[in-house]
Amino acid sequence: MNPLRRFLRTPEAVAGAILLAALIAMALIAPLLFPGDPQAIAGPALLPPFQDWSLPLGTDRLGRDVQAELFHGARTSLAVGLAAAAAALAIGSVVGTLAGFAGGLVDEMLMRVTDAFQTVPSFLLALAFVSVVGPSLGIVVAAIVLGTWTGPARIARAEVLSIRERDYVASARAIGMHPLEIAFREVLPNALPPVLAMSSVIVAAAVLTEAALSFLGLGDPNRVTWGGMIAEGRAVLRTAPFLSIVPGIALVLTVLGVYLAGEGIVETTAVRRGLS
Amino acid sequence: MSALASIHDLTVTYRRDGNAVAALRNISLDIVAGERLAVIGESGSGKSTLALAIAGLLPASSAVDGRIEWPGPGQPPLLGRDIGFVFQDPSVSLDPVMTVGKQIAEVARTHLGLTWSQAYAKAKTLLERVRLPDPDSALHAFPHQLSGGQKQRVAIAAAIAAGPKLLIADEATSALDTIVQAEIVALIRRLVAEDGMTLLFISHDIALATELAERIAVFRHGQLVELGTTARIVGAPAQAYTRTLLDAHIGLDAAPLLNRSGLHA
Amino acid sequence: MSLLTVSNLTKRYRRGGKVVTAVDDVSFHIEPGETLALAGPSGSGKSTIAGLVLRLIEPDAGRIEFEGDDFLALRGAKLRARRARLQMVFQDPLAAFNPRATVARVLDDPLRIHGIASRAERPRRIAALLERVGLAADLAPRAIHEISGGQRQRVAIARAIATGPSLIVLDEAVSALDVSVRGQILDLLLDLQSQERIAYLFISHDLGVVRALARRVILLDAGRIAESGDARAVIDAPQSAIGRALVAAAPRLKRTTQDAS
Repeated sequence: MNPLRRFLRTPEAVAGAILLAALIAMALIAPLLFPGDPQAIAGPALLPPFQDWSLPLGTDRLGRDVQAELFHGARTSLAVGLAAAAAALAIGSVVGTLAGFAGGLVDEMLMRVTDAFQTVPSFLLALAFVSVVGPSLGIVVAAIVLGTWTGPARIARAEVLSIRERDYVASARAIGMHPLEIAFREVLPNALPPVLAMSSVIVAAAVLTEAALSFLGLGDPNRVTWGGMIAEGRAVLRTAPFLSIVPGIALVLTVLGVYLAGEGIVETTAVRRGLS
Repeated sequence: MSALASIHDLTVTYRRDGNAVAALRNISLDIVAGERLAVIGESGSGKSTLALAIAGLLPASSAVDGRIEWPGPGQPPLLGRDIGFVFQDPSVSLDPVMTVGKQIAEVARTHLGLTWSQAYAKAKTLLERVRLPDPDSALHAFPHQLSGGQKQRVAIAAAIAAGPKLLIADEATSALDTIVQAEIVALIRRLVAEDGMTLLFISHDIALATELAERIAVFRHGQLVELGTTARIVGAPAQAYTRTLLDAHIGLDAAPLLNRSGLHA
Repeated sequence: MSLLTVSNLTKRYRRGGKVVTAVDDVSFHIEPGETLALAGPSGSGKSTIAGLVLRLIEPDAGRIEFEGDDFLALRGAKLRARRARLQMVFQDPLAAFNPRATVARVLDDPLRIHGIASRAERPRRIAALLERVGLAADLAPRAIHEISGGQRQRVAIARAIATGPSLIVLDEAVSALDVSVRGQILDLLLDLQSQERIAYLFISHDLGVVRALARRVILLDAGRIAESGDARAVIDAPQSAIGRALVAAAPRLKRTTQDAS
């Protein structure tokens, strides 16, 4: 059975994929549906949801369209989540591969650096970094990467340590391949599957960290973020709870979608490997 | 000559990525009580599938057609109690975190209803029987402390702990070097004789099979090519494939290949 | 002058606080175009010697002279360049190739690394290599895991001869093959040897194959040379204890059934 069909037979995986697809669709059509500035005033302040069908999710304290903010916020969450995860996986795999393959002093140095990053709570690291450098989308991504690349690095290293003893690595050395080519062409691709299996957890964590930073006012001020929306709604939590609840639900569904779809992919590929 | 097991028209099919692959096709074969029967073949011949089918160890994803009958009195045989199974790689078949003594004692306790102390005494006797050096300390050793040959001796001790009628050795010596292989083959021969067991010896090595077995079944592509006494198979093979296997054996008396190429003649 | 001269080679491992001498003061030489066999039980050090000769592991003591040069003195790019002349074929061809590789990539690597053929020329060279080892050229795009064990070992041999080596280390290279395939691979090895004058260091536990293939044999026991000499003379009348044990243990085709006793 091909992996796609097996994936489609797993209900959780399908649910996750649908949630993710909806999120991506939201992010893609946001500028088409809401071409203007999502932070512009669109109507009366604090309009509750489902009152005015031109503003179905109502408005916030300043009269901004919550639905437009939600769609544009999806762009930010998705962009930050994917960019941070991709960067963390790339940096982690490269560091882990170099450490595991080179061994000796290089390994020792790289792993002590990894330890140093891992012992500081990753959220604190991100918080400190953004407060020093200043909030912008790129900085937020970098701040999240600072605390998340260590996991992939450790897993990649452990995998590389076992792969470098295999015959095909000896064979590559025997034909005179350069050590760097062996590390990145022969070893790294085969060390990747368990590292990639972490990607859903990392994307989910990155989305949440971004939301938390924005909630604390450390997000990119020029962009709508779900975390920022929740923080905005906090002031009127008693009178207009929907302002916090709507982006909160979006956040939960996103993390759930990423996680379920990721698990589904891991599961289907694991079954495949088990069979062959 | 009474049959211990009668295999009728056995077909085993594995499903792999949606395709059905026949590992065994219409095999009919009697295993005679008390005999030493070797099943030989190359990779993909189905010889291991036959061993697994007889032991009831086929994976759930396989489809089985035909039947295996056990004409003797009593219940159908139970793996561990009535059938002992020795795998190719003892470092995989032994539990790495359980002492050697406990692994053997557990078989004896489960199938013979012994107490733990009786089972341990039995385990010690078995370790002596398989000629493990220093059986007292070996009882408390873990598999990784033993050499490959010693591990295989432990696996054999566990396989015969409950006094099975049938011992199946599936490529049990293939991972060992020649000297240890010869020792293990001698051990199996002795244990089978002492306990009156029936032996099913699965191997890719026709010469090794002729040293141990009274009858040889030659398998190829899931089919039984021919079955006969060892002397008949070696002396007068009826099938061309059997002859190919015999010719391919390079013994210590084989003509040097070097002369054929004319290089160092 | 010998092609390869190994003198007083020693390799020790530290295993759980204890020092194990895997290779103990071993010396031998190989002449151009000849086959020298290393035989012995497992743990006798034969695979360690293969690793040492190929500079996959470094010795604790001893000298290796290859094609007149001090092989152990070579470093970095010089060592990698010299590897073209000293190749290896492993026991399990599936483990010896990157699981993601295709036949073409496996053969492209040596040609590219040693600058033997331009990118445009390489597909033709790969086809020629495949044909040289008795495979169809259209096998090139196939994945390594899709082809049979015998085909895989032929590809491994093609990879080894791609750089025009003078010596190939064959580490149990026919031990994992089905017997019907083994004969064909041995024939191929002999044919290559007589055509290209490649020397083989043939490592095997199977004395029958050693006797049929090699001119000289070295029997190893616990890292030391127990006995050496003309392969047929040694195996027909072994003098050392390990030699006698190995000969006694070799399976023989029996025409009559022994009694179980």
